[in-house]
Amino acid sequence: MGFLQFIWDGIWAVLSLGNFALIKILLIANIILITVSYLVYFERKISAWTQNRIGPNRVGWRGALQPFADVFKLLLKEDIVPEKANKPLHTLAPFIALFVAFSTYAVLPIGPAIQIGEETVNLVVADINMGILYVLALTSIGVYAITFAGYSSGSKYSLLGGIRSSAQMISYEVSMGFSIAGVVMMAESLSPIKIVESQSGLLWNALIQPIGFITFVVAAFAETNRLPFDLPEAEPELVGGFHTEYSSMKFAGFFLAEYANMIIASAMIITLYLGGWQIPYIETLNLGTTVTTILQISAFMVKMGALLFFFIWVRWSIPRFRYDQLMSLGWKVMFPLSLLNVVYVAVIIMLFNV
Amino acid sequence: MPQNSQEILLMLPHVVIGVGIVISLLIEMYSKKSETILPWISLFVFVFAGVHSIINISANQILFGGMLEVGGKPAIFNFIFNIGAALLILNSIDYIKKYESNHGEYYILIQSAILGMMVMAGSKDIFMIFIGLELMSIAFYVLAGINKKKSSSNEAALKYFLLGAFATGFIVYGIALIYGVSSTTSVDSIIQNFSTFTQNILFIVGLLLFIIGFSFKIAAFPFHMWVPDVYQGSATTVTGLMSTTGKTAAFSVLLIILSASLINYNIDIFAPYFAVIATLSMLYGSIVAIAQKNLKRMLAYSSISHAGYMAIGLAAANSEAFSGIIFYLAAYTFMNIGAFGIISIIEKQNDANTDLTAYAGLASKSPILAAFMSLFMFALAGIPPLAGFFGKYYVFISAIEADLTWLAVVGVFSSVISVYFYLRLVVYMYFKESEKDIDLHIDKYSLLSVVVSGILVIYFGISPDSLLNLILSVVN
Amino acid sequence: MNIYDIIFYLFAIVTLVSAAFVVSTKNIVHAAFFLIFTFFGVAGLYILLGADFIGVVQILVYVGGILILLLFGVMLTNKITNVEIRSGTTQIVPALIGVGLFAGILVLTMVSTEWKSAPGEIPFTTAYSLGKVLLTDFVLIFELLGILLLIALIGAASIARREKE
Repeated sequence: MGFLQFIWDGIWAVLSLGNFALIKILLIANIILITVSYLVYFERKISAWTQNRIGPNRVGWRGALQPFADVFKLLLKEDIVPEKANKPLHTLAPFIALFVAFSTYAVLPIGPAIQIGEETVNLVVADINMGILYVLALTSIGVYAITFAGYSSGSKYSLLGGIRSSAQMISYEVSMGFSIAGVVMMAESLSPIKIVESQSGLLWNALIQPIGFITFVVAAFAETNRLPFDLPEAEPELVGGFHTEYSSMKFAGFFLAEYANMIIASAMIITLYLGGWQIPYIETLNLGTTVTTILQISAFMVKMGALLFFFIWVRWSIPRFRYDQLMSLGWKVMFPLSLLNVVYVAVIIMLFNV
Repeated sequence: MPQNSQEILLMLPHVVIGVGIVISLLIEMYSKKSETILPWISLFVFVFAGVHSIINISANQILFGGMLEVGGKPAIFNFIFNIGAALLILNSIDYIKKYESNHGEYYILIQSAILGMMVMAGSKDIFMIFIGLELMSIAFYVLAGINKKKSSSNEAALKYFLLGAFATGFIVYGIALIYGVSSTTSVDSIIQNFSTFTQNILFIVGLLLFIIGFSFKIAAFPFHMWVPDVYQGSATTVTGLMSTTGKTAAFSVLLIILSASLINYNIDIFAPYFAVIATLSMLYGSIVAIAQKNLKRMLAYSSISHAGYMAIGLAAANSEAFSGIIFYLAAYTFMNIGAFGIISIIEKQNDANTDLTAYAGLASKSPILAAFMSLFMFALAGIPPLAGFFGKYYVFISAIEADLTWLAVVGVFSSVISVYFYLRLVVYMYFKESEKDIDLHIDKYSLLSVVVSGILVIYFGISPDSLLNLILSVVN
Repeated sequence: MNIYDIIFYLFAIVTLVSAAFVVSTKNIVHAAFFLIFTFFGVAGLYILLGADFIGVVQILVYVGGILILLLFGVMLTNKITNVEIRSGTTQIVPALIGVGLFAGILVLTMVSTEWKSAPGEIPFTTAYSLGKVLLTDFVLIFELLGILLLIALIGAASIARREKE
């Protein structure tokens, strides 16, 4: 027994390292992977529903195994690298996209702190003070994936897609940053957990600063390159945009990253504006800690699901912008609005001394 | 809060210019007639700031917890910057129409450049020096290339930007090292512990890098490469501003760093450096200027040699030298602005009429312009009893007092050389027949600007004590 | 040698090696690529020194902003006009002399300086105290920086503006 106890102690020590970081990383990575594959399925189903079609219905019960079929198909395809491509960068680009997509989630909390034995475990991989800035920094690195993909493919469609994307993402990052400034001013902290905690009751930022909420959501759509802002990959004009020359798993990498970014964007919107895991006034019901925690985590999941549905819904409802419209919307409407929001929040804080 | 609002009242000149920038921007955005409104706004702002500074010269205070000094020495510099800029604005009203790039940003950028200079002259913190410098430099980089259709203007902007950024790199590196030793950015506390810090080689290297960076900005000899092309290629009014107020601002920073430490603690480790720079700049500027046929280029080389004369004062490093430098800067600003003002009147599109030959026979066509041009040339050459003479005189005297007689002798020798090319222009104007028929259009505002500069040059020459006493009262 | 030393040398090596690649590679896009690692190394050093805010902002501004703009510029000019932009190596001897002299002076000062080390705790977060200092002691500089950025913006717009023919 002593020996087993020793091994168990060793494993426990490793697992509990950094507030159970390893377990949380494994959990989060797998949750994202599974969510992404089913997100694709749901996107196809919802688009079919919007367009009055049936959608995937052959593989498994009502097409439920469709995501696996998709993944196997992509895995078995031949990996083609164009002759004119810049090979190292061409290979690297999807990895950057995946790296960003998976590491960003590290700072976004999915629930309140829970007690396991004697330890308090935060339901977030890394509770760092600069959490929100960390997300912004990583998002800005995400631009490189598309830029490098566009540059290295040796194709003009890819190049145009890459240029469009870098211009678009930089432009919308500005209004995104200023929208976040309003939230940070309210919470007086850059830590996502503190930001969530500052939105107790019905003090959701979406209700207090609706302008900031709208600018952030629009910027989030632009940052994830989703319709109506999917100009980097606009099919009618650019074939496939930056991923025209990608096939097999490298293409799947971009595909995966795009949907993972959607999840991150939703989580960001929830954390910053929709009160995170909180359910307003749940503490007045006296349900006990365990039940409350479970309810709160489910609340987070429900909010996430609603937002993901919103993302897909918008994609199939709104047509694509023209490029100059996109730029003038970003710089002439969203940017001034987000600046206005900062002033507005400052006035609110001064008046009510929140 | 109430204390801060009082401090804002004390720095009213800075605030007025800052507000002027924003108002000009709004007018440029919403008004169709911005080209006719903006000059008057800038003029008002500059005259107000200049007059306000000189009236409140005795209210010497340090604001915002040791950041900005108002009144005293900075007030004199502010007066030079603002009145110089106001004179150039008067010139610009007509001159800028000759280019098709008559946009509001011209005036906005000039205002920000002057704001940067005022921050530099009043700074009591190394950060303030750096930000003031950047505010001035960025505005100048853009102003140098304001005429986008002229390739020489584009070239000037690019060269000025590259070399200016290079010099800024030196300054920042120097600041980093200085901070590393002193662990403070306050100029006063650095100066108080100057003698302890100078035992540390890191501090000396930092200070040297800092001074080298500013040697670029004052256009002294080994760091002068950008001067001729930039001065020739930029719009004439912009050149006038760069060569006078820009140089004054750079010198004001050198005086902030050096004067207190040198006078109070008598530590002079940089005298050899400045002596060498002064000698080389004076001789190089004067000799090369002889070969120039283009007036703007000639004045560029003359500007290098004037930087040399002023650097004599830095090498001499006593309180007479520092008041002499300030007097020299004031005199140089007004005579050079006058000279560039006349060039801007005579210049036509595409750099036409900036050569010496264009000035042949000017005396018969416009006696008043010729007379004022001769006045400014005499003043630049240092012929008594004009302001330029007393500037040189005070600096040379201070060099002799500091046992640097040889430097004063070199200075006098170089002045004698420079008389040749300054007087050559006078000879052209009075004793040569004009070769081509030049249609001369004299704008009344430009003429007003030239006349005011001329009066100031004569006034400072006839009664130098009026200005010098003011300077002495604030230097000590 | 404790763990902090090891991390320090790791970041230092990343910074220096990638910087060497930046100057030695001939393809300007590759140079930009290696510059990412240089900036990451520097950001790592900042965070190691307890300046978490500056570290993250370094990535946000340099990697996410400046470098992307650089790449953007390269992509717009390179290839599209069929002119490959490559940085050549010229004037090696003068450059060597200049850099050698400068490096010599710096190494000399580094060796001959008695470096101070101040005891102190690494703060939990620097953002709070940084914000406080910026809006109290350095408020004038903060406001002037605002004007400076505005002027830079006006200047950039002015340069980019197209003149009417």
